[in-house]
Amino acid sequence: MAMNKAVRTLSTAVLFSVVMLGFSGCKGGSPSTGSGGTPAPLADEPDVTFKDLQGKDVTLASFKGKVVLVNFWGTWCEPCRGEIPILIAMQQKYGPKGFTLLGAATNDEEKAVDTFIHTTQFNVGGQQMTMNYPIVMGSDDISNKFGGLLGMPTSFLITRDGKIAKRYIGSLNENQVVKDVESQL
Amino acid sequence: MRFAVRFKHLFALWALVLVSGVVTAPAQDSAAPKNPSEIVTTHSFVSLDPVPRGKEFQAAIVVKIATGYHMNSHKPSDSYLIPTTVTPQLPAGFTLAEAIYPAGRDEKFPFSPDKPLNVYSGSVTLRLRLTADNSVALGAATIPVTLRFQACNMSACLPPVKVPVSLELQVVAAGASTHAAHPEIFSAKPSS
Repeated sequence: MAMNKAVRTLSTAVLFSVVMLGFSGCKGGSPSTGSGGTPAPLADEPDVTFKDLQGKDVTLASFKGKVVLVNFWGTWCEPCRGEIPILIAMQQKYGPKGFTLLGAATNDEEKAVDTFIHTTQFNVGGQQMTMNYPIVMGSDDISNKFGGLLGMPTSFLITRDGKIAKRYIGSLNENQVVKDVESQL
Repeated sequence: MRFAVRFKHLFALWALVLVSGVVTAPAQDSAAPKNPSEIVTTHSFVSLDPVPRGKEFQAAIVVKIATGYHMNSHKPSDSYLIPTTVTPQLPAGFTLAEAIYPAGRDEKFPFSPDKPLNVYSGSVTLRLRLTADNSVALGAATIPVTLRFQACNMSACLPPVKVPVSLELQVVAAGASTHAAHPEIFSAKPSS
């Protein structure tokens, strides 16, 4: 009798643990809503639909077959701006090899983003260039589908079959991201 | 014996749960900024106690910024950067003469090695010059204030956030006696 009670107690404890782990695995949130300083687990294959600057849907799935670096950035974010020359150079070099950058502007207004991408020049290896890769609008819902953002820039390397291979929080280390992209091509 | 078998199964399930916990545990990333509430703390002060109607007083919001972080000053280096602002939601009868922001400091960061950014770091005191007119009810009053800032560490930024701050004061009749409060804050020159 006592043994049965012990088994029931243990069963309850195990069930509780399973449920709690399930909740912790679903945790999303964004910095502005107080998700804390710990990155959430990576989503396996995020089912995400962005809006481009004309308001048209752009699904992440539409890039299947390409290696994608999704870069969450903002016009107001200085570290994001600082790494744009690296991203332009990567698009130039690896674009013809089945790679694309996808810039997701977050906490921004479409008009400000549109002006920015058409007018801001970046020094890329001594050449003045504007952003040469697709730009879409990000949102809290979208970033939550990637597991939530803890800051910007945050980038996600997506494999040719649409799975997240790696997350980069903060300014990109150029050597590392180039190595990672090349390993996927 | 039956208990031993069931216990064995339960132990296996427990182990599985623990292992799955390890597998799904999020990886720490040193570049990840903290939650905004961990980066910035605020304390508010009022220069007169109590505040007579018709007499100008100041409110100070002392903002402590966590080590390793900074926020744009009120006059950031570029127009696209989001300035720090304090905006009071004035109850009827209160007027704002001026918001006083200290000058920021020009600092260079790894993500902007050539161009210094004008920022606040450490502790910064933001002030408001206010007056309560004769229509303000006598007694305790609260003035809600919104602090807006956008903070970064050495490699990543948090989105701009709005933090509510509360000014608590006692309003008394015009000409009533009062005394200067917190001279250590209000007699100092605004600085960051």
